Amino acid sequence: MNTNYYLIDYFNESPSIIQVAWSISGVFFVIITPLILYLKFLRGHLRKKERVTAEFENDFESSLINYLYSGNEEEEISSEQKVIINQLKECIKDPFRRKILIAVLLKLKNEVSGEIAEAIQKLYFHTGLVNFALSRLKHKKWYVIAKGIRELKQFHVKEAHDEVIVHINHPRREVRKEMQLYMVNLFYFDGLDFLDVLETQLSEWDQIQLLEVLQRLENQNISNIKSWLNSSNDSVIIFALKLAKIYNQFEAKDELINLLYHINKKIRLEAIHVLSYLNVLEAKDILKNNIEGRSLEEQIAFFKLMEDLYEQTDESFVMKYIHHEIFEIKVSTLKILKVLNRERFNLLKFESSESNFLRIVNFIENN
Amino acid sequence: MGATTYQIILEVIHYLFFIYSIAAIGSYLLLAAISAVETVEYKRKNSFVNYKEIMSSNISPSISIIAPAYNESLNIVENVRSLLSNHYVNYDVIIVNDGSKDDSLEKLIDVYDLVPVNYLINEQIPTKPLRKGIYKSTNPAFEKLIIVDKENGGKSDALNMGLNISNSKYVACIDVDCLLLEDSLQKMIKPFLEITDRRVIAAGGVIRISNSCVVKDGKLHDVNFPKKLLEQGQILEYIRAFLLGRMAWSRLNGLLVISGAFGLFDKKIAIRVGGYDTKTVGEDMELVVRMRGHMEELKKKYKVAYIPDPLCWTEAPDNYKIFISQRNRWTRGTIETLRRHRKIGFNPKYKALGMLSYPYWFFFERLAPVIEVVGLFYFGILILFNLVRWDYSFAFITLAYLFTVFFSLIALVTEELTYHQYKKKGTGFRLLRIAFLEPIVTHPFILYAAIRGNIDYYFNKKKKWGEMTRKGMTKG
Amino acid sequence: MSDPKKIVLAEDNSIFLLLLKFRLEKEGYKILTAVDGKEAIELIEEHSPELILTDIMMPFISGLEVISHVRNKLNMQTPIIVFSSAGQEEIVLKAFDLGATDFMSKPLSPNELVIRVKRLLP
Repeated sequence: MNTNYYLIDYFNESPSIIQVAWSISGVFFVIITPLILYLKFLRGHLRKKERVTAEFENDFESSLINYLYSGNEEEEISSEQKVIINQLKECIKDPFRRKILIAVLLKLKNEVSGEIAEAIQKLYFHTGLVNFALSRLKHKKWYVIAKGIRELKQFHVKEAHDEVIVHINHPRREVRKEMQLYMVNLFYFDGLDFLDVLETQLSEWDQIQLLEVLQRLENQNISNIKSWLNSSNDSVIIFALKLAKIYNQFEAKDELINLLYHINKKIRLEAIHVLSYLNVLEAKDILKNNIEGRSLEEQIAFFKLMEDLYEQTDESFVMKYIHHEIFEIKVSTLKILKVLNRERFNLLKFESSESNFLRIVNFIENN
Repeated sequence: MGATTYQIILEVIHYLFFIYSIAAIGSYLLLAAISAVETVEYKRKNSFVNYKEIMSSNISPSISIIAPAYNESLNIVENVRSLLSNHYVNYDVIIVNDGSKDDSLEKLIDVYDLVPVNYLINEQIPTKPLRKGIYKSTNPAFEKLIIVDKENGGKSDALNMGLNISNSKYVACIDVDCLLLEDSLQKMIKPFLEITDRRVIAAGGVIRISNSCVVKDGKLHDVNFPKKLLEQGQILEYIRAFLLGRMAWSRLNGLLVISGAFGLFDKKIAIRVGGYDTKTVGEDMELVVRMRGHMEELKKKYKVAYIPDPLCWTEAPDNYKIFISQRNRWTRGTIETLRRHRKIGFNPKYKALGMLSYPYWFFFERLAPVIEVVGLFYFGILILFNLVRWDYSFAFITLAYLFTVFFSLIALVTEELTYHQYKKKGTGFRLLRIAFLEPIVTHPFILYAAIRGNIDYYFNKKKKWGEMTRKGMTKG
Repeated sequence: MSDPKKIVLAEDNSIFLLLLKFRLEKEGYKILTAVDGKEAIELIEEHSPELILTDIMMPFISGLEVISHVRNKLNMQTPIIVFSSAGQEEIVLKAFDLGATDFMSKPLSPNELVIRVKRLLP
């Protein structure tokens, strides 16, 4: 008792700065104790959750396999399968178990095709899982919507098209991306129509994902990309350029050549790469005439293009650049010269004494 | 006049100490709060990423992993195997053997069926010359591998050689002995591809400590919490620094450091600014500051990104001698970098870099140990003259201690809620214990090492250079 | 009747592994399962199976290394079918360079797999 009073007196009589210090210490002390308890609880909880998840996963995996192998020819759903469906319906009332079941279904669905994949899809509908996903689309929080769209995409629920497309201009990048992936995964090249009205930037990450999806399709008949090459959205043009390259869009040659004059350097550069890839000879002549006025990257890309598209008449042009200060240009022009005029190339070794230049000449001579 | 002026000066000193402490505590709390916001956001966004598609895409941009090696014969074969097993299509691995005196190269040649190849190097950054040249494997399973054997020039020089050799758009500079998880490249490349309104010039990863963890065939099999208090203390320190500190700085786009053990860079910009500086021991921080300064001078919008996922695991010093020499080196690196880029500091032209990041590093990283030691000296003098106000001292020491513990606990809770790497039963108690012990177990040594670093930097130039040329690189 | 033919099946996706195991067992094969390349190699060395089915991307040791090990280190001519995901075409080419017999790209149909297995193990 006495010590308590003493401490209180001491505190009250201390200078204010000490009072402040002790008060803050008191606050920390009061926070630290529950923090320790929380940490202990949290660790126990996480461990348990992990164990329980693994158990449920195991259960679901074996019931799924059971379900898949207990079908028969006569009925659409066998009686054994019905039992399993009803069990699962019970389970998914709990959101935690629902999440695990969905993960298990996807884990298998992503690896198989044919009958088994269809059977999993049917199960998704029969258990009513699809309704949970649909209800997410109208949620307020962006990540709930995004999750919903993603799930509908993964289970190929085409019926949700109209509810999904409304999110085309959603302020969150993640929602837009899920929307785009839904469209392309389910409606293939037709799904790309959203590009016509896309106002936001399509990041390189988005583009890679979309192209991956497209390249995996069986039907590789691409729709007309010309309008996207003329888009007012630069990222759509870049994407269309990638399409042009992958799908050898030689028909879009004129649009591609026009892009050599685009205001955006990145687009001009990409256009050079694509034209080079498509072996468009006209591009070389256009670029050759105004190469001096172009950026360094474009110049390097142009000479790289010339490595594939040189003609005998280019020799004097190429000769002008073999001593160019840029390494890549030197290498490209020397490579071309070696093919165009071997004698002249061989003479270079005796004309120059600059070691760096000779190093490149020697390398190209031997490779 | 004597007595009063003297008293006023003392008062002022006291208040300066006090203000500094409050500012430090305040900035830590603020950073913790910012990191909480950023962590929640990151976790949410990241749950929507389908890394599989980037991994298998052949139009994903090319990356070169550059790993300098100096006398790593013991583990080099395993380390290379680990680097080759990353889940990314478009990448190669450039091992730069920096004049090793051991049989590293012979071992590699033997195991990976290497043969010398002709290679035209575009020497954009001057480096020490090649020694035996460049090797590639004849086995298609190892076609991603490039081994460069060059004369010794130190870690920076080796990294620069790698920059010259790489044909990729991005380079991942790593320590050869660090263990990268298989999805590390995909995760690190993401910000470069995803952010459209500014250019991402570099991305830094988290470094986790692999002491006591089970590593087999270059893969992390099992995460364990080490026994030694020094190792535990460092784990706690890393968790705090990466999950709270860097996470917050990433939100503010104010990161000054990308750990040398694992960072991904836009190669073009790294080369344009001249690559790694061979004259500093803090080359990792120095390069980032230089690249940032360069972007600010060009008035281009840019970002240094940060990936909080535990992707890179490395062995930390397990004895005090190596620990102190490592921290000594870090201190000198920080001082050198901040000094070299003095013009950035407190310069509004460099915006947040000059007015926020630099000052923070200067006051709370660079000066903190110095101020702390000055304080301790002052305290000692007061004891000597029997002038100590024990009530003040006791109140403030308690406050400082409780704050440290509190901050560590916040870091631990964050770790559990996000990555939960130390899952085993019983580790919880040891994590808690180290939160209480760490101020005693590692802090005094960090302080000592920092002071030694300061002394070595200002008064012992010879040692500085000596160490540079002797060591290609050290652990940690 | 002779002993059932042995197949080593290496796949890191547990449920997919289970599905294929049941399917192939129904056809009368004896299936030895591995969840990574390391286990696969151990099983192959121990049991010398008549056929190897392996995923390309697996933890610890990849399918490529399994092929390389079987062909170069063990010098076995056991037929090997690899499973690849879309977009791994280059890796598939490498798998053929190393000596893979056949490949199937995921998502794959178990029925189709059975047909290919039967062709290799009549």
